[in-house]
Amino acid sequence: MNERTGVEERQRTTGELPGFFGTHEPLPADEIRPEVWDLIDQWVAAHPGGRERLIPLLHRVQEEIGYLPFPVQEYVAQQLALSPIEVYGVVSFYHFFTTNPRGRYQLKVCMGTACFVRQGQRVLEAIESLLAIGIGDVTEDRLFSLEQVRCIGACGLAPAMMVNDEVHGHLTATEVRKLVRKLRARARRESAASAEEEASGDEPA
Amino acid sequence: MATNLPDSAIPNPLTRTDLAAIRNALSTQLATRLESRRGETPVRREVLVCAGGACVSCHADSVAQALRDEVAGAGLQDAVRVVEVGCMGLCDAGPLALVVPDGVYYPMLDPEKVQRVVSEHLAGNTPVADLELAWETPEGKLLHSREVPFFARQQKIALRNCGVIDPASIEEYIAADGYRALEQVLFELEPDEVLTVIKRSGLRGRGGAGFPAGLKWQFVREAVGDVKYVVCNADEGDPGAFMDRSILEGDPLSVIEAMTIAGRVIGSRQGYIYVRAEYPLAIERLEGAIENAWRCGLLGPDILGSGHTFEVEIRIGAGAFVCGEETALMRSIEGQRGTPRPRPPFPAQRGLWNRPTLLNNVETWANVPPILLRGADWYAGIGTQRSKGTKVFALAGAVRNTGLVEVPMGVSLAEVVEEIGGGMRSGLPFKAAQSGGPSGGCIPASAADTPIDYESLQELGAIMGSGGLIVMDSSTCMVELARFFLEFVVDESCGKCPPCRIGTRVMLNTLEEITAGRGRLEDLDLLESMAAHIKGTALCGLGQTGPNPVLSTLRHFREEYEAHVVDRRCPAGQCKALLTYSISEELCNGCGLCAKACPSDAISGTIKHVHSVNQELCIHCGSCLTACPTGALVGH
Repeated sequence: MNERTGVEERQRTTGELPGFFGTHEPLPADEIRPEVWDLIDQWVAAHPGGRERLIPLLHRVQEEIGYLPFPVQEYVAQQLALSPIEVYGVVSFYHFFTTNPRGRYQLKVCMGTACFVRQGQRVLEAIESLLAIGIGDVTEDRLFSLEQVRCIGACGLAPAMMVNDEVHGHLTATEVRKLVRKLRARARRESAASAEEEASGDEPA
Repeated sequence: MATNLPDSAIPNPLTRTDLAAIRNALSTQLATRLESRRGETPVRREVLVCAGGACVSCHADSVAQALRDEVAGAGLQDAVRVVEVGCMGLCDAGPLALVVPDGVYYPMLDPEKVQRVVSEHLAGNTPVADLELAWETPEGKLLHSREVPFFARQQKIALRNCGVIDPASIEEYIAADGYRALEQVLFELEPDEVLTVIKRSGLRGRGGAGFPAGLKWQFVREAVGDVKYVVCNADEGDPGAFMDRSILEGDPLSVIEAMTIAGRVIGSRQGYIYVRAEYPLAIERLEGAIENAWRCGLLGPDILGSGHTFEVEIRIGAGAFVCGEETALMRSIEGQRGTPRPRPPFPAQRGLWNRPTLLNNVETWANVPPILLRGADWYAGIGTQRSKGTKVFALAGAVRNTGLVEVPMGVSLAEVVEEIGGGMRSGLPFKAAQSGGPSGGCIPASAADTPIDYESLQELGAIMGSGGLIVMDSSTCMVELARFFLEFVVDESCGKCPPCRIGTRVMLNTLEEITAGRGRLEDLDLLESMAAHIKGTALCGLGQTGPNPVLSTLRHFREEYEAHVVDRRCPAGQCKALLTYSISEELCNGCGLCAKACPSDAISGTIKHVHSVNQELCIHCGSCLTACPTGALVGH
């Protein structure tokens, strides 16, 4: 791998930025796992070419960490020899890319026409009032984030939404309440299980 | 009976002799999937399980697994094969399976039903009557499986393989006449002869505008340049349209074969498929199909020893509706913001990286191989005088049979909605259908007998568009519908040209005033004049067609707009601000959720007793309607 410049090295180790988005708060670089930088390096090395690589690379990175924080955008810009604003311009243009972290359960409410005709708006309203968040937000405990999406193609199940990659159809306000309760319980179970695992994992040591 | 070879056993690269051998070995098996032969006891049955996007969403994969387990448990693994195929079309009935050669459909399968299908039908040779797909005609006659109008009334050309072949098997595609058209193009026909067939067939672009496909091919063939590109537009962004997704999921190789054919005709070696990120299953199946085609030498250098080289790459969109516009799509492939540019120059002269580029949408591509195989005259014999062939529609909304249908051009909306679609799910009267999504318009029930083709829809103020057909019953408010589509356009406007960026916003604000009960009669004139300006001056198709839903609802349902602004009333009962809320004494269980949800303390009552709404305090927000679990709260 080629030698890093001082700027890159500093960015990778401290999350400090060389300027463009540097003053933005909060700075999420400390949340970014170091493997992400290597992932970008490796992807760029494996895919020679020009600017047409930008969108596929952003897809790959967002798949890995769920969103595209500014330090990552800057690093991508450096690696593809683009200016940060060119990368930000693309990220902000496309709905699919997000600069906000997402929840553990991403609720994507379908707002396609079929769901509209079958009262999808009520599903969205029910979630908004239940979780007290708006579209694009994430709950304080980072458990749920809410998005509206354009037609997930499950028109037969309308009104529908996706929870991560799972489609839930024929929804009503009551169904939504049940689902959220179920997901909360699932999260509690899982964190209890992982805490237990950690504890039992510690014992032998 | 031949069994499917594992794909690894296919010789690489394939020769024409190998193709013929595969067709020979598998064609009988495929033919039995298309016809019903009830009553005989076949040597070997197949259970085709729909693995289209909608069925997968309701766990068709676990149904397929359950079928395999049960079949194995009954010791039938040599007599019955379970095959996962593409979309069968009747999305409402998922998970759906078809037993062949009997031709029996089983809808809404679950593990319990699977058990009965295996023990009674597959082992016992008696179709399970109470589980079989049935349909009662208005005359009271009971129809079964393939006789059901949803299936019987269709004519499948673009969808010919969807629901029939396993999309992951290149052998099955080959056996279903796949790559026969490419063989013709590579070995028997001159490029100009291919061009003549496409032109004479009358095939028009299925993406929306309906430009003659053959003419487009000719422009790119005649364009000067040694590097040219073939592009498939699979950025199916119209909400409510899913025909392209189903073709990619159910028959990805037909698109790839057609692009390879076009590559030969126009002199291109590189193709791109631009597909929405929202379609992970389609992307997965396309990737698999491209890999299979490469492995068999049907993509890559020297295809079938002809000297023709062609490659296809997938580019994944990132959620921008405007990228369905051809110039925006190409910018997106180049890694830019997907903003359109003025035409001319058209992509045929200066497209991707300024090279001549041939761009067609998925459904258009899927029509190409059958046209070459069966001839221009056959295709031109289907449809109306100016719109040839068939059209795939995605039926959704208030209709009973949500799903995908392919019918000849020229059938009437009434036929599609009432006969194939089965009428309204709610039992309420059919009010209108929106065709062409946010760029299209509504067709009122009064015009339902008009034969559907490109021209007739245009006369009605709608467009064919990509084929999304949203059916609405009398509970849909047309003003609210127009507002919904305009909100979509405002949200998706790329912001490059002011008519679209500012004009559609002004229209949306006006509509919001109307649905909020603050509209004035002059607003309707303002909407019409803004629409005319935007249509005349916006840069691309998205902007130019954006006002269409408003114009067409104004034209066909002006009295509804007037009810909103003059009487402050929403006839369909959908615009919350114009509704009066009350609580039904029979349905209210006194849970108190409505009172809790009400932000203005307008609802009173004690727990476990019927609640009531104080109309003077009510701010018409509709929160109580959302909160009520029993449907006791009604707005009218």
